[in-house]
Amino acid sequence: MPTYKLTYFNVRGRGELIRLLFAAGGIPYEDVRIEWDKWPELKSKTPMGQVPTLEVDGQLMICQSMAIARFVAREAGLLGKTSVDQARADMLLDGGMDLGKLFTEMVMEKDASKKAEKKKEFGEKSLPPFLALYEGFAGGNGYFVGDSLTWADIAFFNMMDFITAEYPSALDGYCNLNKVVDNVKTNPGVAKWLKERPVTDH
Amino acid sequence: MPAYKLTYFNGRGTAEIVRLVFAAAGIEYEDVRIEKPEEQWPEFKPKTPMGQVPILEVDGTMLCQSNSIARYVAKVAGLAGKTPLDQARVDMIMDGMEDVGKKGNATHWEKDEEKKAEKKKEYEETFLPQFYTCLNKLVGDSGHFVGNELTLADITFFNTTDLVGRYFKLPSMDQFSGLKKVMDHVTSNPGIAKWLKERPETPF
Repeated sequence: MPTYKLTYFNVRGRGELIRLLFAAGGIPYEDVRIEWDKWPELKSKTPMGQVPTLEVDGQLMICQSMAIARFVAREAGLLGKTSVDQARADMLLDGGMDLGKLFTEMVMEKDASKKAEKKKEFGEKSLPPFLALYEGFAGGNGYFVGDSLTWADIAFFNMMDFITAEYPSALDGYCNLNKVVDNVKTNPGVAKWLKERPVTDH
Repeated sequence: MPAYKLTYFNGRGTAEIVRLVFAAAGIEYEDVRIEKPEEQWPEFKPKTPMGQVPILEVDGTMLCQSNSIARYVAKVAGLAGKTPLDQARVDMIMDGMEDVGKKGNATHWEKDEEKKAEKKKEYEETFLPQFYTCLNKLVGDSGHFVGNELTLADITFFNTTDLVGRYFKLPSMDQFSGLKKVMDHVTSNPGIAKWLKERPETPF
């Protein structure tokens, strides 16, 4: 088995999906968390001046969180069975990222009154149609693609983990989406990681 | 070979990457362009998975999200990278170019004129040169981003650069010998060369 080294800050952020996928796949890896003051010297050594990065067998560095996540999902057998299934998983993830971007903009807003406005708008205009749409995409069995866990389910869980911290009742009433979340949380590798992972603000 | 039907507006936009991959691979597809969007789009929109185009119809299913469609077609065409690591490297270049495109888009659509001028300056004079310097280092001796053959990574670099170049001043490729080779490989691919000659001129 190749050795994997993930480097990111000591937050969940753009690293957490990758960590969840390693956990779900039962794949061991080195979870390196760098302190902010170490970042300037490391930055120029990365392919695009960003983290997370993944080293494989001490060598090849991959950057871009979704590229790394897709790679780990493939190694973990969580990509989707056919090319069309894989494309469907990709498309659901891309749609989720569109929502995630709006959410992040809201969370990062520094002006308190603008933030309150954005929070209201996100909670009333952006989130409900997205969840209604995705409730339709999720099967009654609680999987977005096919009849088994894929990274589309895990990515949804991870994103909602962030979103429900601001909107605790967001998933109320969505039967299929709640089943997706359950399926992810009860995956043995994920369950163990959720218990053990360091608690960070974001 | 299943029938492929791509639907988008009459422009390059986010569909062009898919058209370029089809062209490189020599795969036939139906290139549907919504000619009268004010009339036709409101009716068509609810039929799409996420209320957006492009969409690709294949095997009785509808795929959306341009990068996911491009990746799927590249897989079918053998242009997605040979090994899982190669595929990850292709993905990472695609994602990096997505960042370039998104930042350009945000700059282009900035409503405040003063902010826009500032953002444009930063984008053209700082961001693009720095990012293209990073990208240049990622090109292999073969003149491709990944392995020794054309992949979706090369095509994405060409397409995003082409689109950004319509609205912004690009850094000169003369200083980026690796990126220049990538551009040459893409534009001299027979399928792509033909498409570049034949594709319709569109407002976006």
